[in-house]
Amino acid sequence: MNAAAFAMDPTRSGYVPSKRRGDEQPVRSQLDMARGRLFAVMILFLLGFMVMIGRTVELGMRENARPRSFAGQIEVPPVKVGRADIRDRNGEIMATNLRTSSLFADATQIRDASAASHDLVKILPQLSLADVESKLASGKKFVWLHRKLTPRQKWQVNALGNPAFRFEEEEERVYPHGRLASHIMGYVDVDGRGLGGVEHFFEDRLSDPDRHKDALKLSIDMRVQYALADELETARRVHSAIGAAGLVFDVTTGEVVALVSLPDYDPNDIRGVSADQLFNRVTQGVYELGSTFKTFTFASALDQGIVSLDDGYDATKPLVVGRFRIRDDHPKSRYLTVPEIFAFSSNIGTAQMALDVGTDGQRDFLEKLGMLRPSTVELTEVGAPMYPAPQQWKKISTMTISYGHGIAVSPLQLAVGTAAIVNGGRLIPATLVADSDGYQNATRVISEKTSHTMNMLLRMVVKKGTAGRADAVGYRVGGKTGTAEKPANGRYNRKALISSFMGVFPMDDPRYVVFALLDEPKGTKETYGFASGGWTAAPVVRNVVLRTAPLLGVAPEGEDEGLYQQVAMKINDKKGH
Amino acid sequence: MRGASRMFGPSRVNKSLWQRLRGLSWSMVLVNVLIACIGFAILYSVAGGSLDPWASTQMKRFGILFVAMIVIAVVDIRVWMALSYPAWFACLIMLLAVEIAGAVGMGGQRWLDIGPMRVQPSELMKIAVVMALARYFHGRDFYQSRRLTSLIIPAMLILIPASLVVIQPDLGTSITIVGGGVAILFLAGLPAWIFWSAGIAVAAAVPVGWQFLHDYQKNRVLTFLNPESDPLGAGYQITQSKIALGSGGLTGKGFLEGTQSQLNFLPEMKTDFIYTVLAEEFGLVGGIILLGLYMVVLTYGLLTGIGSRSQYGRLLAVGLSCTLYFYVLINVGMVMGLLPVVGVPLPMVSYGGSAMMTWLIAYGLILSAALHRHVNLAPKGSGLA
Repeated sequence: MNAAAFAMDPTRSGYVPSKRRGDEQPVRSQLDMARGRLFAVMILFLLGFMVMIGRTVELGMRENARPRSFAGQIEVPPVKVGRADIRDRNGEIMATNLRTSSLFADATQIRDASAASHDLVKILPQLSLADVESKLASGKKFVWLHRKLTPRQKWQVNALGNPAFRFEEEEERVYPHGRLASHIMGYVDVDGRGLGGVEHFFEDRLSDPDRHKDALKLSIDMRVQYALADELETARRVHSAIGAAGLVFDVTTGEVVALVSLPDYDPNDIRGVSADQLFNRVTQGVYELGSTFKTFTFASALDQGIVSLDDGYDATKPLVVGRFRIRDDHPKSRYLTVPEIFAFSSNIGTAQMALDVGTDGQRDFLEKLGMLRPSTVELTEVGAPMYPAPQQWKKISTMTISYGHGIAVSPLQLAVGTAAIVNGGRLIPATLVADSDGYQNATRVISEKTSHTMNMLLRMVVKKGTAGRADAVGYRVGGKTGTAEKPANGRYNRKALISSFMGVFPMDDPRYVVFALLDEPKGTKETYGFASGGWTAAPVVRNVVLRTAPLLGVAPEGEDEGLYQQVAMKINDKKGH
Repeated sequence: MRGASRMFGPSRVNKSLWQRLRGLSWSMVLVNVLIACIGFAILYSVAGGSLDPWASTQMKRFGILFVAMIVIAVVDIRVWMALSYPAWFACLIMLLAVEIAGAVGMGGQRWLDIGPMRVQPSELMKIAVVMALARYFHGRDFYQSRRLTSLIIPAMLILIPASLVVIQPDLGTSITIVGGGVAILFLAGLPAWIFWSAGIAVAAAVPVGWQFLHDYQKNRVLTFLNPESDPLGAGYQITQSKIALGSGGLTGKGFLEGTQSQLNFLPEMKTDFIYTVLAEEFGLVGGIILLGLYMVVLTYGLLTGIGSRSQYGRLLAVGLSCTLYFYVLINVGMVMGLLPVVGVPLPMVSYGGSAMMTWLIAYGLILSAALHRHVNLAPKGSGLA
């Protein structure tokens, strides 16, 4: 019977299996298979234990199983720790960091996304309910909810008691002076990366963890910056100008001491800031700056000995070249001496002088002065100058460029060029960083003698010429006015002006260039309706000099009359603007 | 047959309670106690050298469940056989109750409160599935077992609870349920080609099934494949766990001296990742000793199956051994980065009552099968039910 094959003990069980179709063969195979399968399970079983033991040994024997640093592999947004401060030349803090907390959620721990988002939006009403709810329902382990909460908001969120809401300690960039130096500072994004100004230009330096305790020291003097911004803002308001720009520039070191562009913005909160506000009119804007450019024409002509102070040009009637007519804004309709041409800002005389210098001479000189290449100042917001291509730089271009039309440069380029004319003839690149040694790489552009002569002419413009309103008593201001019509639709608009004044003080030993520019100023009753540089920008420079010269270490002194007497004698006029 | 079944009176093979207690495999009982003691020691260490709050609670649980195991072991295996299907249905009802409670109340609930006890039906289901399958194949002979139609009921017995557990969602437990069930199907003698083709089908279904996984489950698998990709996020546990394992060295840092665990670098260290604490404090020697103890008790379960006279006892012992084995394998594999993190505790050692209950009940049944290994059981029933 089959019972025997089942190896059963009938005496114990008494059970006899019912008869099967086959004989002993399939029963044996059943037993074989059952045993074989048990054996297979056993093998797998032991194999599994061997793997577990083996892995335990492998991990346990691993020598350098030490907690490692995972920097650079983290997928959660990196949190900024320590961005270097930015200070002005006197150590005044311009940008620093505050500790804040940012709220994120582990959405996997949210039980009721709808209730949680309602609670949260009550505390942070600026958040959108739908947005928060979709984030909380996302099931992601990490979702930002709101960056940079106030301590009170953080307390309120903690009081909700929801463990899914967590905080990330962060640092927030703070600009204590607000909008005062906005275009210098630039701004940072929510993760603390610089997006404009020196914050962007020096991003690597400022975010360098090795140097985050080491403040970036700028050449800016916030006291001067404030005076300049204040005066420009006042002038902009009085003259209803659409914009203004100003610059105080150290002619001996190339340092930018103050830089203002209006309208500006608050770098602490750049939401909703327009492109116009972000635009840096000092470094990024390129303008046809008009008569301030005559300084360069005179300097090149005098330096190359093409004219002397005793020469002169006929300015009896407008100059006709082809279809162009070159006129004077303050026509004298007579023969003018070289100092008179400068003082009265005669386009007719300057254009003729430029023709004597020649097109190549003019271009070479402007090239040497850095007028034909973008400034190297430490900002990304730097505009490229615009000027005729060499084959288009014809006679008429030479004549208009001589008085600042047909070429557009940034105010900073103009200031750097002017500084080179007045400081003894050395071109020093502009810098925003304190104690930079850029001035050691100065290149000579004119002789010291020419520079001296130019200083006499510039001082004379204020004493006798168009810039009388720039004369800050005691500080020997010199300079050149500029009034340019803005091009619009292919022609110049007589009503839309760029009025500027490029001032220098003290003229007997020039230290600073002070530049002021108003974009589309309107005349007022006080200016008798005039909106030219002499009427609008020159007073700004005077006020800035009066307010800042004591800060900059320039003492008011009685004047060495001899400085401009030599040229003043050659001026035959009671009054001029 | 009618006459034969009458011959299986319970009294006929019963020994006295004393005889049965003496026949119990006390050495295996001791090994189980040793495993539990290792758990107590680690819980004591994790609490910073204190019985409170974990070790003492765990000891009380063990005390109760240990008695339960002995009681289960000495109860006649025919009683368990008779209860096999009812147990399965009872667990199924409890699982459904959890689903309904989960749908009504807060999501993700896995347990039922029955009086003072908190029961996790999915845990009991692991045992009930094995019992029901063993009962099913006990009633079928070799040829019946090999028929494909014999697969229908077992498939339902496995897949209905497994799918209920999956949607809880508790992937780890449902894998254990399916694993234990498949082990029984294999032992019951289903043709080998079924397992081959099932394996291929599973491999083919992986990309499809992937889309039905919860995001956190996907995350775990991805993290498992490359834990260093996100060492501070989803890969944190695994990375820390491997560091702790590695820092133990050969003999460990000493009891209460594990820095990774004592300094709270490790999450879930008193539950799912407790093996890491062991390996850190007692080194790989400690880890191998614990694995060795598991291997001894589970191998005993397999040997019980081999030595069992009845198909029910054989399948029960081997099936439960496999279930318990999967428990250990999944947990240890997970902790050591060999398997994805699926949230399976290390039975008897991890803090928590559910896994300990499953283990001790199942082991009680294994001991019962061993105790009654010479008992022959009728194919159609135990004679008790």
